[in-house]
Amino acid sequence: MSDSTNPSKSRDVAIRIADQLGEAGVKLVASLPDNWISELIREIDGDARFRHVPVNREESAIGLCAGAYMGGMGSAALMGASGFMTTIYAMTKINYSYEIPLLMLITLRGALGDHHKHHVSNGLYLKPVMDAISVPYLVIDKPADIPEIGRAYHHSRTYSRPTIVALTRDLLR
Amino acid sequence: MKYVDCFKYLASRRTDELVITSAGNSGQAWWTTTRDSDKTFYLDASMSLSTLFASGMACALPKQKFWAFMGDGAFCMNPGMLMVERQLKLPNMVHLLVSNRAYGATSNASLPNGMENDYGAIARSFGIERVFVFDNLEDLARDFDKAMGRNVDAYTFVVLEVEPFTDAEQRLEQPPFDGPELKYRFGRTLEQMAGIDIFGYRI
Repeated sequence: MSDSTNPSKSRDVAIRIADQLGEAGVKLVASLPDNWISELIREIDGDARFRHVPVNREESAIGLCAGAYMGGMGSAALMGASGFMTTIYAMTKINYSYEIPLLMLITLRGALGDHHKHHVSNGLYLKPVMDAISVPYLVIDKPADIPEIGRAYHHSRTYSRPTIVALTRDLLR
Repeated sequence: MKYVDCFKYLASRRTDELVITSAGNSGQAWWTTTRDSDKTFYLDASMSLSTLFASGMACALPKQKFWAFMGDGAFCMNPGMLMVERQLKLPNMVHLLVSNRAYGATSNASLPNGMENDYGAIARSFGIERVFVFDNLEDLARDFDKAMGRNVDAYTFVVLEVEPFTDAEQRLEQPPFDGPELKYRFGRTLEQMAGIDIFGYRI
């Protein structure tokens, strides 16, 4: 099946997400790509409010964002679901052991609407893995809920641990 | 050179640099040498993230200088970190690769291709220009100011070729801090040093 996109919708959503991050106090964004968030990454990269750091692997984003927090700088990690699944050790070792907040934006791959069979594993295990490590997460699947991103950022600070925002295909494409 | 002797020399030359260690030997050696509990963050077994953790801080605090230690065992798990560090090119950041050619924190277990890895060449291949490799204390002392002295204002990658810990050194005390204690000790110090607010309640 095609993974058709609506460019103007994707861009509008990207701008609104970037605005939420900016208003929350995020100044550093570490990212790895996923097709669903390519427009968002482009938006953040061109937005002077952020220092955008493309990283070599998702765990590197965890280290970088944890350090930014310890330097008093707001940050967020942006990545696909598969990348997130590789970060469990880094996140539990750094963010849980030291109680360091982190906002992660990930794609909700493998859910209804994802046409790609290679994300079946994420469909099966992404949510159970998040539940297993007791990380608070919320799913955003419509533009009206984008302001929840700011609340998720602040919740992470209150909770002193990561909070995850999972973005759906319906929202992003 | 001897691992702990190398760290003693670095500690003797430290001024106000903030230090990040990685798990195991570098944390043990720095704690043994300095007993510093305020301006050093002893990062537990992050498996290659100590220098990126330091880089995040260095991004946020451009007026502070950071020394970040990483063992070559951790480095080999994620050498691509140097792509990110080269891209950031933080002038207040020194990456100190402690090369003992072993997984030091796990009883000196064998490192793949251990003796052949050319860490300086790896760094240069990523475009890093300021690369220094020291395998003895005399050279380190001679070139310290050029490599990582107080007036250096450029991202720098330093390889320290050291001997693996002896059995006795493996029993050196680990930094005796739980995670949250270390976060607050270090963070409160940073707040005072840099005049920043890390832990303030912002909602």
